[in-house]
Amino acid sequence: MEKVLLRNIYVPGSHTLAVYRSHQGYQSWVKVIKNLRPEQLIEEIKASGLRGRGGAGFPTGMKWGFVPKDSPKPKYIVCNADESEPGTFKDRLLIERDPHAIIEGTLIAAYAIQSHTAFIYIRGELAFGAGVLERAVDEAIRAGYIGKNIMESGYDLDLIVHRGAGAYICGEETALLSSLEGGRGWPKLKPPFPATHGLFGCPTVVNNVETLAALPWIIEHGAAAYAAMGTEKSKGTKLFSVSGHIRYPGVYEVEMGYPLMKFLQEDCGGVPNGRKLKGVIPGGGSMPVLRPDELEKVNLDYESVQAAGSLLGSGGVIVMDDTTCMVRAAWNLARFFAHESCGQCSPCREGCHWMEKIFHRIEQGEGDEDDLDLILNVSGNIMGNTICPFGDAAAMPAAAFIKKYREEFEAHIAQKRCTVRME
Amino acid sequence: MDPINPIKLTIDGKEVATTKGKTVIEAAADIGIDIPHYCYHPKLSIAGNCRMCLVEIEKMPKLQIACNTQATEGMSVLTQSPKVLAIRKAVMEFLLVNHPLDCPICDQAGECWLQDYYMQHDRQASRFEERKEHDRKREVFGPNVVFDGERCIKCTRCVRFFQEITRTNELSVVNRGDHSTIAMFPDAVLDNPLSVNVVDICPVGALTDRDFRFKVRVWYLQKTPSICPGCSTGCNVSVETYQNRIARFKPRINEAVNSHWLCDEGRYCFHDLTGGERLTTPMIRQEGGLVPTTWDKALGAVLRGLRGATPLAGVLSGRSTNEEAFLFAKLMRKISPDSALEVFYQERELTEVEKILMSPDRSPNFRGAREMGVSSNGGFETLMGKIFEGQFSGAYIVGEDLLAMDNDQERIRQALQNLSFLVIQDTRMTDTARLAHVVLPSTYFGEKEGTYTNRNGRVQKLNAATIAPEGALQDSEIFIRLLDLAGDRVAYSTAAEIFHALAHEVPAYHGLDYATIGAQGAQLGGGAGQS
Repeated sequence: MEKVLLRNIYVPGSHTLAVYRSHQGYQSWVKVIKNLRPEQLIEEIKASGLRGRGGAGFPTGMKWGFVPKDSPKPKYIVCNADESEPGTFKDRLLIERDPHAIIEGTLIAAYAIQSHTAFIYIRGELAFGAGVLERAVDEAIRAGYIGKNIMESGYDLDLIVHRGAGAYICGEETALLSSLEGGRGWPKLKPPFPATHGLFGCPTVVNNVETLAALPWIIEHGAAAYAAMGTEKSKGTKLFSVSGHIRYPGVYEVEMGYPLMKFLQEDCGGVPNGRKLKGVIPGGGSMPVLRPDELEKVNLDYESVQAAGSLLGSGGVIVMDDTTCMVRAAWNLARFFAHESCGQCSPCREGCHWMEKIFHRIEQGEGDEDDLDLILNVSGNIMGNTICPFGDAAAMPAAAFIKKYREEFEAHIAQKRCTVRME
Repeated sequence: MDPINPIKLTIDGKEVATTKGKTVIEAAADIGIDIPHYCYHPKLSIAGNCRMCLVEIEKMPKLQIACNTQATEGMSVLTQSPKVLAIRKAVMEFLLVNHPLDCPICDQAGECWLQDYYMQHDRQASRFEERKEHDRKREVFGPNVVFDGERCIKCTRCVRFFQEITRTNELSVVNRGDHSTIAMFPDAVLDNPLSVNVVDICPVGALTDRDFRFKVRVWYLQKTPSICPGCSTGCNVSVETYQNRIARFKPRINEAVNSHWLCDEGRYCFHDLTGGERLTTPMIRQEGGLVPTTWDKALGAVLRGLRGATPLAGVLSGRSTNEEAFLFAKLMRKISPDSALEVFYQERELTEVEKILMSPDRSPNFRGAREMGVSSNGGFETLMGKIFEGQFSGAYIVGEDLLAMDNDQERIRQALQNLSFLVIQDTRMTDTARLAHVVLPSTYFGEKEGTYTNRNGRVQKLNAATIAPEGALQDSEIFIRLLDLAGDRVAYSTAAEIFHALAHEVPAYHGLDYATIGAQGAQLGGGAGQS
């Protein structure tokens, strides 16, 4: 399989403009700005089948198409580099090793919606990556890829790198926009949607780092070449961040539809130390965990993972072997979501902390038998009833851990201690 | 809103005609269906954070918040379905997770939306057995508002009020998750002219009124719809009393006047107007000073004194009703057709925030009283100038302590002392009253029935919220008895009868009817109700 996203990252000096250019860098941008009209570009990306890699998997070309063409307001493109999903570290690799691919992708996306101001909103903790990006942007400006009248095309574009302040919720696109506006990182009500009322109330598209980084390759090789990879509905390749009890953790680029178990056992070296696999979270901490028996037929594409009862999400694959206490794992995630809930709407603000407290109590050996159904009920009350998907992100894993490892929770409650790590 | 875009939808099976652009919660409210809510307020932007107004909408897989969902043609909304009732119960449970449940010592109890909706939608023992999160208690936000963080449900109504109505931006939400709380910048003080409105719009006991709290439990209050006597804006208020004393003002909604709001100055103006020891017997000047007398003697002395002291000046309080002004003008002109009459009127500079609601004067009925004939060329200041110049021999001053005016106190004292006859009609023994030859004990706004006409010509009804002490007379009764003594027996005595007479005699009030002014007032030159 040809690498789309990781093609440059092992090249020495890949973060510099000189090296990037020596590997076809910015040729796609030149091609777009000189030869393509915005609507042609949007059609090309629609034809490629590229879907948003932030987690929701929404078709990228269609998202661009929602931006009104006749709006008198300025339009904005925002690269979402606020990667903070537990178990996800793919964007970070791209940011640090191939920043120009992200910048080039951002420029292409900006041109598609005819935006003249683009932002890269980078997670506050990624200080090193922010520096890499800023230097890369400076290089691109000096080389004339960004600025006024780019390459004599008459098209102007500004690109601004903005560092977040360390809130998970700012990865949610409307919270990101609130933060970028200088406000509290609170998600906004939808409707209206960012495509018409986004940053500062203007038409805005927010695309994930990985989505944007795929654009130069698609322009270079053509939509058909990209669409030739993957499955019918999940085209191309995707990055997976593999962590946990796995021999070779890291970031992998995989063609969509690749079998998950084959991927874990062959590509990632399997579960080390002769332990047995106990569960896998396939799409980052906010997605439901899958038991080994549920994993057998799962392929790494949106539809297959969904059919198994989870979601592909950000591609953060967290592997747990049989030494893992699922009560503790569930509490760990619940604690994360309780800490990161923005507090805006009632079910999430109160419910996440409530679930965290019950999980903690069970983990401490002070749970009682009603607690499990209570968590399931509380998570059900959060699910689908909040302003943004965060509520679901907290509720789904909580419910999944209990439903899929109920006997372990019950043993923990009955014996008032962990039954896994004592073995 | 687009009036030429009518749409129809059904809510709980009832067909509703509304216009495109309205939300489901608004369309439901129009037909009397109150969808439970906390954060939604018709005068503030949509926050959508409480999730109490989630409703089921046909063809939508998830429940939708009624406050942020546009009504569309053919939409079918369920506000009482099992799914909706279940989520309301769940939201109530969430809101009470960290709530201290301290209703017995909470001033909001009795008018708390958490209590009301708990009874309607929750009614279960808490399933929350963990330690509750704590927050700041009794934090003084400003001179009038105190905050209890544990009772707060983070609906952000207060935050939005200061962002969108006063634009003073004192409050914001800080911290995250269940540590979220409302706060100000360090050393900031919540002291703007409309600050207490957030106490009214706070649906729970998080923001309470420092003046009112712990004075009386709200279920003991008697509520009388009336008009704020603070200035000539004429904000609609509910005068809320306990044991014949005014405990607080609350704004009443009137979109033609004050919308939902009331300024702090108006809200607390009753303290100054009702405080102090009441006069309960008429007084007459004898050698050695003022001594109590009977009403018959006092009124006889007034009539004799005024008749012998022309030219006469008459100063009427800006808080006198139209009915009183009508009688006063009639009386003074009966005694001396050349009487110079004016309504007390003084202006001050207003800040931008004050201008949102307040008028520059403190005379709620100056316009109405002048239209009743209590007016002379040049207005109040000119009349005062003439009093200073000694152009009058006698004066009848009603309901105003002129010596309490900011400046010119010595000049006023001199001028009043030079009069050969001075009548003061007031509720208290003021400094001005001490100079009088006759003092007549009367009533304040809260004891009166009648009408005020605000600055913009809206005639609004004042209702008696408290009962005057024995010995004091209604101002209108004093004027009627004096008119009677002067040989002009009038055929009316109640406010309604007097209004009927004045509507007949005063051209601008032709066609107005006391009974139909109603709770929302009537616009001069227009019909009753909304203007």
